[in-house]
Amino acid sequence: MNHPEPNQPTTHGRGRRSYRLLWISLAVLGFSMVALRTAVAAQSGEGNPAAARDLWTTVGVWCAAFMTLGILSFLYKDNPFYKVCESILIGVSAAYWMVNGFWSTLVPNLFGKLVPGFVRSVALPDLPVSATPGLDMALAFVPLALGFMLLWRLAPRGGWIAVWPLAFIIGTTAGMRLVASIEADLLAQTVATVRPLVVFDQATSAFNFWGTVGAIVSVVGVLCVLTYFFFSVEHKGVVGGTARLGIWFLMITFGSAFGLTVMGRITLLAQRFEFLFRDWMGIA
Amino acid sequence: MNEHNGSGSPSFLARLGGIDRRWIFLAMGLSIALPILLKLRFPEYPGPMAKATFDAIESVPEGSRVLIAFDYDPASAAELQPMANAMVHHCASRGHKIVFMALWPLGRQLADKAIAEVLLEFHPQLQYGTDYVQLGYQAGNEGVVKLMATNVPEQYKTDTKGTPLANLPLVADLRSTADFKLISSISAGYPGAREWVLFAESANPEAFKLVCGSTGVQVSQLLPYYPKQLDGMLVAVKGAAEYEMLVEDKYPVEKNADRLGQGRVRMGPQLVAHLLMIGLIVLGNIAMVAGRSRGGAQ
Repeated sequence: MNHPEPNQPTTHGRGRRSYRLLWISLAVLGFSMVALRTAVAAQSGEGNPAAARDLWTTVGVWCAAFMTLGILSFLYKDNPFYKVCESILIGVSAAYWMVNGFWSTLVPNLFGKLVPGFVRSVALPDLPVSATPGLDMALAFVPLALGFMLLWRLAPRGGWIAVWPLAFIIGTTAGMRLVASIEADLLAQTVATVRPLVVFDQATSAFNFWGTVGAIVSVVGVLCVLTYFFFSVEHKGVVGGTARLGIWFLMITFGSAFGLTVMGRITLLAQRFEFLFRDWMGIA
Repeated sequence: MNEHNGSGSPSFLARLGGIDRRWIFLAMGLSIALPILLKLRFPEYPGPMAKATFDAIESVPEGSRVLIAFDYDPASAAELQPMANAMVHHCASRGHKIVFMALWPLGRQLADKAIAEVLLEFHPQLQYGTDYVQLGYQAGNEGVVKLMATNVPEQYKTDTKGTPLANLPLVADLRSTADFKLISSISAGYPGAREWVLFAESANPEAFKLVCGSTGVQVSQLLPYYPKQLDGMLVAVKGAAEYEMLVEDKYPVEKNADRLGQGRVRMGPQLVAHLLMIGLIVLGNIAMVAGRSRGGAQ
């Protein structure tokens, strides 16, 4: 058995010390914030958004602040505070989507058509009155039956029954999106690509240099990328060169997409910091 | 691999390669926190896409009925709420009649927030039902857009208060999306701007102008639609900041102007954080090349 050296801390011991350090840091940070916030609120009075709040808003802001710090604490290392915040986030999200699905879909679109009077009296007094309640009720049995069939996969036998509503969902979604995609993505995009390579300004009829560059790059890019994905011809010679240029276009596209994603993530962090500084601490 | 200098201690570049990533997290945190605390702001120069969005809303006749769809939730509000606020103020200042709706469940609450903090704050004279209407959220994703393209009253029988559309003057005669002069989707993904292009614009290509605001993540997916199928596009918080500049220049407000300047506030941290990232990428590559060349020399 391998025993640690007497004067060398064990991994377990180091982990406990790190956790202790993290908890102490968070506690110190929390108390500092309380002191700072109290001082700022006393100085700034009503003009400060952190000041003059009702109790429940204050509780909400503090919860949000600790959740934010808890999630961010993962950047230091995995810790129980992060685990708690992560579990709360997942639990609340799952519960929210379930409740939302029930109240925004099942109640108005299914129960509201099967038993409209009952739904109106106990849940949704504003449920619109249908001109054809009988037809609505008859049609509502279709999604009801499909829903039960979908849940049948949880039963020990007859799992194949769930395949039928799945086929219905896939078929209708594909059918609905197919036509729209052909129209908006294939045809319209093809038309947008077929354009003059030399661009003149519409108002002055002057030669538009950058417009021309853009048009040429656009058309060359489309052709090169399409060539890269054309595997019926071996990528050698001219085809190989064109395909390699297509890879460059793809790499630039991925790079710009990544840059935009980074920009989005920085914005999210900036907004969280704004919340912590302004709404929680009242210092920005 | 020997990455030590002559004195036996690791060289700066070698240490850089093995730096604890938490120092980078800390540097990134500071690069975002400090500009916020110091209220750093930089001038924004509107780009063609922000101008196109602004022009699209300006080109629609005054008093037109426009639709703003809040197709996002609080997870994307940091990027999208600034442009939504600016757009609501822009439409109201131009005199347009605004119909609010959402394809995302929490979009309704964000639309309510924009109504309370922007529409009623800067345009308190506007009346519900005649100047603006909140239709709220409907489940169904692209199905909602597809049905609205032909039959809005079938999709939305009432507004969020339970009032039938027939009793609201602004939407009493609303039949389809073709009855709007402009549609804007502030979009964070699916369902969102792409669904409006696929199912509304394709159904009535010339009937209305379609603009969108997008998160950075999905911009590359939407760019091919501009400018043929999308008349304007606001690209993430940068687009929001540029658009805010255009709106503020033409329709300034006297108080609480910070509500229409959140995009510009968030561009300060963007600049510093991007500079840090560029610096780290350059340093990282120098360290890698130096390490390779040392390895090759040995």
